[in-house]
Parts: sequence; structure tokens; C-alpha cells
Amino acid sequence: MKIKNVVICAAGLGSRLGLDSPKCLVKLGKHRLIYYLLQILKDVENIRIVVGFKEEEVIEYVKGIREDVVFVRNPDYSTTSNSYSLYLGSHDLNEPFVTIDGDMIIDQENFQKFVDAIDINEDLIAVTEAKTEDAVFAKVDENNYITEFSRKPISKYEWSGVAYFANFKVSKDGQYIYQEIEPNLPIKSVQMECWEIDTPGDLDLVMNEVSHIF
Amino acid sequence: MKTAFCFDLDGTVTKQEILPLISKEVELHEEISLLTQLTLDGLIPFQNSFKLRVKLLSTIAISTVAKVVDKVILDPHIIEFIHANRDDCYIVTGNLDVWVKELIQSKIKCNYFSSEAEYEEDRLIGVKKVLDKGKAVKELRTKYDRIVAIGDSMNDCTMFQKADIGVAFGGTHNPVNSLVKLSNFVTFDSQSLIRILQKYK
Repeated sequence: MKIKNVVICAAGLGSRLGLDSPKCLVKLGKHRLIYYLLQILKDVENIRIVVGFKEEEVIEYVKGIREDVVFVRNPDYSTTSNSYSLYLGSHDLNEPFVTIDGDMIIDQENFQKFVDAIDINEDLIAVTEAKTEDAVFAKVDENNYITEFSRKPISKYEWSGVAYFANFKVSKDGQYIYQEIEPNLPIKSVQMECWEIDTPGDLDLVMNEVSHIF
Repeated sequence: MKTAFCFDLDGTVTKQEILPLISKEVELHEEISLLTQLTLDGLIPFQNSFKLRVKLLSTIAISTVAKVVDKVILDPHIIEFIHANRDDCYIVTGNLDVWVKELIQSKIKCNYFSSEAEYEEDRLIGVKKVLDKGKAVKELRTKYDRIVAIGDSMNDCTMFQKADIGVAFGGTHNPVNSLVKLSNFVTFDSQSLIRILQKYK
């Protein structure tokens, strides 16, 4: 497998979804969301999951699927950002890694497309067609390099929450991951179809559009 | 940065709890296993439970215990790591020196801190000192910049409180919740555990 390390950030409250459960444990079809992520990552040697909100439930469920996952704890999940969780999950790795948000749905085919596009020495960011309510838009040039991020609709693509970092260190004090990446632009991108579950509307969308996964 | 690795012994480096294994020598296996489980779950304090368990097992000759302990199954991945880094690896165990010394010296081959027994020749009399694992870590502070602790039970909590990095390891059974709350990492697989430790060498 081209990728050795994956860091999944699954510490947050997921308050917009309105369930008293971490988003990675949302039931989709027969299994919970994180099950499908672990399926597409089954050949990856080192999987780290950053846990916080209801960590014991996440740990209990995940270890039933795959025992060799490393759980990285973010006890300050309610007052810290996703970027801090990624820092905790990656700062001691000293090796390239893929980061994925723990509330994402990606099918095998699309993830493979992302993996195929990786050049092991170069950072790579997955963009997807903008569809989420609070999208971070990514301007992509003719050579597929991201030149700018913005909260304004400057492009039809948005930052997906999936990236391969070969040379990039996440700082401890960052707010959003895209802001951490910003000073390093331009960075190569690849288009990938994926879904993020933030709101009940996203959940309905996923159940209708990608039912083949479940 | 000079780093020390402090490993709990029972159920961490060993794949079995040692005291229930010893208890097979006398007809107290169920009782000792129950006491061990209650202690692991944090329902009775380690100090009291350990003294009681030692009392129950004190009729067995020290040399007989050593033979039983010698057969305990060790985790091969952890042993490999310890052998490769033996100067900076420490077993920090509440278990008795006279029971585990031989195992540590001949097979695990690293430094150790343990509880101390009171004994006369081959006969165990009682417990002289129960190890406070936090104090062991404190002692290592003078020699090391960073201390990584690995354990699974309630009596590892003081060690985690004094260490810089704590890895709750569920190799034999789930790590107790109080320890998980003091840890930076949680894992159930020894190869994954070693993968973490390699990053802190």
C-alpha cells in the first residue's frame, strides 16, 4: 500500500447533527460510519483515530472491527479545534500521512483514485464538488494546483477533509486545517467524490446518493 | 531527548496475570482470580488486595513460584523492543521481587522496580514494601528528559500521572477507565504499541 499512516479525526461533538453520539458512530445501513472508512483503509498499516467525545464508545466499536488501531486521545475536544486533534494525531509521526475527517463517506473506487494520484514526496489535497452548507472553497488552476481557499464561492470545488501530507507539519495552535495548509499553497489537488455528514440533511443525502456503499 | 520506557509487568509484558497462575499451585485459583479481577477493575485497592493475595499464596515455596513464573507467556513484540533498548527500559511492577526477579533478569533483561518481600530462605513471610509506581517514575526523572509509561490497571495510574506520555494497553484485558482518562494513547495490539514507542525513542 502506498500509504502507511492514516489519521482520522473523530473527537468532535458533531452538535449540528443533533444526535447524542459521535458522528463517526452514526448508523448507516448495517454498520456505523467509521466501519465504512475502516473498510477502505484495510490495507493501511498504521491507523490512528483521534477520539474525544464519548471516546469509550468509539474505542469499543472500533476495536471490534480492527484491533490494531491506535487511539489518540484529545481530552480537550470540546474547547479545541479539529486542527488541534490532527496535531495530536500526527505530530510524533515524522512520516507522511493521510488525514481523513471521521464524518466522511468515501467509496473504494474514489479513495483508490486519490491513492493513485499520490506522489509519495508531494503533498496532495482532495477536492470535491461543493455541496456542504459551510464549504471552504478551493480555487484550482489549470495544472490542478490549489492556489487559494475561501469561504466565498470562488470555485465549484471545496476542501474535502482528505489530504496526503508528505512535508507538512500541523501546528498546535491552528484553528482550521485549511488555514494551516494555506501558507503552503500552491499544493497539488485531485478531484474525489466524497460526502461529509454534518447535518440531518447531509445524512439524508448520503442515504439517497451512495446507498451502494451500505 | 533521553527517554525512559516504563512497562507494567502483569498483563502488559506478560500475556497472563501472574498471581492467578501461581495460585494454581494451591487450590485457590478461583479465589485469587476473583481478587485479581476486582483489583484490575479498581474495586479494591491494589495495596490491600496484593497483601491479601500474597498471604494466600505464602505457603508456596519461593523456588516453586519462580518455576511457575518462568513459564509465563511474554509478548514477543514487547520483549523484542525491550531487548533492543534495554538500558532505557524499566519494568515497574507491584509484584514481589522474589517472585519476578528471575523472570525479569533472565528473559526480559532490563532494569526493574518492584514490591519487596520479607522472606526467610525459601519461605515467604510477607510484604515489606508495596511499590508506589509514581515514586519509581519520579526517581527516573533525574536521569531522563521524558518518561513514557505503558500499563493497564488501577495501580498504573500513579505512574501515568508522573509520566509525560501514557499508553493504555489492552493486550490481555481492557485497560481500566481511570487509566484511559490519564493516557495519551490507547491500543490493544502490541505491534501498534511498539509502533508508538518507536516514535519516542
